[in-house]
Amino acid sequence: MARDRKSPLKADLPLSDIREEGMVHVVTVRSPSCRGRITAVEVPRLPRGYRALGAGDIPGENQLPILGTEIPILARDRVSYVGEPILLVAGPDPDVLERIRQEVRVVVLEEEPILEWESFSTEQVLLERTAILGDPDKAFETAAEVLEARFRTESQEHLYPEPQGAFAAFEYDKLVVRCATQWPFHVRACVRSVLGVKPQEVVVRPTPLGVPMEGRLWYPSVLACHAALAAVLCGKPARILLSRDEDFRYTPKKARSLVALKAGVDSQGTLSVLDAKVVLNTGAYAPLASELLEQACLHAAGSLAVPNLRVRGYAVRTHTPPLGAFSGMGAAHTLFAVEAFANRIARDRQEDPLEWRNRHILRKGSVLITGEPLRDRTSFDAIGQRLKAASDFQRKYGSNELIRKRRSTSRSEEAPRGIGIAFGYQANGASLTSLSSESFTVEATLNKDLSLSISTSAIAGDEGIRAIWRSTAAGILGIPLGRIAVSEVDTGDVPDSGPSVLSRNVAVVNKLIERCCVTIRSRRFRSPLPISARSVHRPRNPLRWEKESVKGYPFESISCGGAVVELEMDPWNKEPRILGTWLCVDGGRIASERFARSTLSASTLSALGQCFRERLPIEAGAVSVDGYREYGLLSLAEAPTIEIEFLPWDETDPIKGIGELPFLCVPAAFAAAAEQASDLAIDRIPFIGEEFVTGELG
Amino acid sequence: MKVDFILNGEDVSCQADAGERLSRILRDTFSLLGVKEDCRSGHCGLCLVTLNGLAVPACLVPAFRVRGAEVVTIEGFKQTEDYEYIRKGFEKAEAEPCEFCRGAVFLSTAALLEERPRPETPEILENLSAVFCRCHDPESLVRGVKSAAELRARRMNFRANR
Repeated sequence: MARDRKSPLKADLPLSDIREEGMVHVVTVRSPSCRGRITAVEVPRLPRGYRALGAGDIPGENQLPILGTEIPILARDRVSYVGEPILLVAGPDPDVLERIRQEVRVVVLEEEPILEWESFSTEQVLLERTAILGDPDKAFETAAEVLEARFRTESQEHLYPEPQGAFAAFEYDKLVVRCATQWPFHVRACVRSVLGVKPQEVVVRPTPLGVPMEGRLWYPSVLACHAALAAVLCGKPARILLSRDEDFRYTPKKARSLVALKAGVDSQGTLSVLDAKVVLNTGAYAPLASELLEQACLHAAGSLAVPNLRVRGYAVRTHTPPLGAFSGMGAAHTLFAVEAFANRIARDRQEDPLEWRNRHILRKGSVLITGEPLRDRTSFDAIGQRLKAASDFQRKYGSNELIRKRRSTSRSEEAPRGIGIAFGYQANGASLTSLSSESFTVEATLNKDLSLSISTSAIAGDEGIRAIWRSTAAGILGIPLGRIAVSEVDTGDVPDSGPSVLSRNVAVVNKLIERCCVTIRSRRFRSPLPISARSVHRPRNPLRWEKESVKGYPFESISCGGAVVELEMDPWNKEPRILGTWLCVDGGRIASERFARSTLSASTLSALGQCFRERLPIEAGAVSVDGYREYGLLSLAEAPTIEIEFLPWDETDPIKGIGELPFLCVPAAFAAAAEQASDLAIDRIPFIGEEFVTGELG
Repeated sequence: MKVDFILNGEDVSCQADAGERLSRILRDTFSLLGVKEDCRSGHCGLCLVTLNGLAVPACLVPAFRVRGAEVVTIEGFKQTEDYEYIRKGFEKAEAEPCEFCRGAVFLSTAALLEERPRPETPEILENLSAVFCRCHDPESLVRGVKSAAELRARRMNFRANR
């Protein structure tokens, strides 16, 4: 049913545009300290119509179980990071609220915060995963050469098109909650729990999401609880909308990682063993730590098939704001490390990186770290060939190498060039450990007028996903695209289709739509219209990580990709300039090439920005006050040519998720190119050229 | 202070502090929500408006600078013929900025085409760099602007030939 676009409870408006008569605004009083015990919260005398809400005012649960951990909606006794919400103040005038917020005095008896994470203590370890394939110790003993490297990825900001927030108001006997979320039923569950009411008393209607970068999975639920609490306790519609600065400083960011790699090669230069130690700094609380760590460990060997492999993964707690999901969830950390390492090994052995990879590439039947053979075909050979041809990789690589070697003897004023390649794969429909017992549903109805209504709570971040869903249904039922409608999401009307994360919209929801349509087709001329069908997805058993071994098959399917990055680097300030980027993707059947190309191109731009522009220093446990204003972005003016090629597919191939591939492949390709251009060891992204300039001068 | 200015073709007046941001005046006083909630630093460009024909982030414009000026927001721009050819140009090129940045992208394009009726790719990218959104696909944006420029040029020629 189409929404009444005039009502703030239903209109398809961004959150910041939602206003209602009598609405109260909500601001948050936050922790000034990284760690400590709250000894006093002194609130000034509030004007009429204003109210302060603390943990003691919560009618239901304050500790929310969110994806494997518990997070206080408002800190009661202790604080664990700078900016942790302690008190809400609600009232009609945002300027008065801001003044009150400044006047509230929070006294914290500070304790020594734990900020170190690379050399972590056992008490910091939230999760530990170990997986072994073959006999790594023996393989290291017989290796002709052992190589080691450590790679780091720093935090990153999602930069949503609109800061995070939520709106809540009563509609008859129900509380309607509105926020930009990737998981509406999670919002409902959290609000229900905080208010101590029945699930059907809360309705969630999401607002437009924009490009979420996997960052709007759980945090909107926390803000929804804040808005809901204010709406219920003030008896008025309530909206909380963080300022850009607040959002930037205090909401979850991408987890930081350290990946220490040790490889053994034989006398032919063939990789015989790989040992990976993965450390993820997940900040305070760390929801999603298990998903991040599993994806990171699973991708520890990247596109390489290694007979002897050991992966040890640690998710580590620190007193910084929660650090967690970002596009390329978990996998991006290890893929950057292992693919950059592979390039370095090949270069040190004076081999073409593509040829070196071909000897090690992951293929169907290659045994994964889980002990299971890979069931999907991989297409890295074809991807490599196409990238080579499109970017003229081999010629450029060889010529840059020659120049690089000569550079050590003669200094040139010209900006040196580099080119790098990397591969990666995106796991489709990977199980979320914390969701392993849930099942998710999609419904479809063929109406009397032969139109089709698809009912799902999955959030399509852009029109491309809806185009895929409609195209799937149209293909099966033979009805025009214009007669297929995807319902507006309202948790009171649509079934729970789970979170829109990890390509689930394509790998899971699209499959459920397909099944519904096949059922409708089979009943088409046997039952009267309307015909409805319902399809339920039950996730596979999650990965069984054990201390010494791993069992299981962790995903529905994989999409393969590769990237080539060519750049030149200013010889004086070490500032890279991207000259070209090539991407080749095997994503099964591409439902809409236009949308796929556009998504990949936008993601590639973000991935390049992540490599050398988007710097988010976290110092003394906090993001700096000027963080947002100083956050560099790769602008469109700096955008290189981005060439994208899809491997051929046929109509029987499944549709797969591909949007994360740039985040998985581009950083390592960038690092290889930057290393070739600069002769520096690029073992951290973002790469900060001026650090090396300072080093040289010093 | 009293601020008199021309907003979307109409003479308007409001009370504001001299330093109050134009973005806030437009959203709160005139309920023009197409000017997106801003970053207060000109960083994102989502609050773009034209001020005397120049595209500027409204969050960097203090109220006193608006006195006597002509301001056009996306709401006002939508009423113009220029908006139509930009919308159609983007549609024809199958370039779709997301709902958050679309207004700013279109206004920025209009300002560019006014100055450079046939912009080259680097000029287009430079111009659109004022607006940041993670949905941006450079190639399709360039296609969209060029297609809009083409439609605009045709219309201009048509008018000149009449």
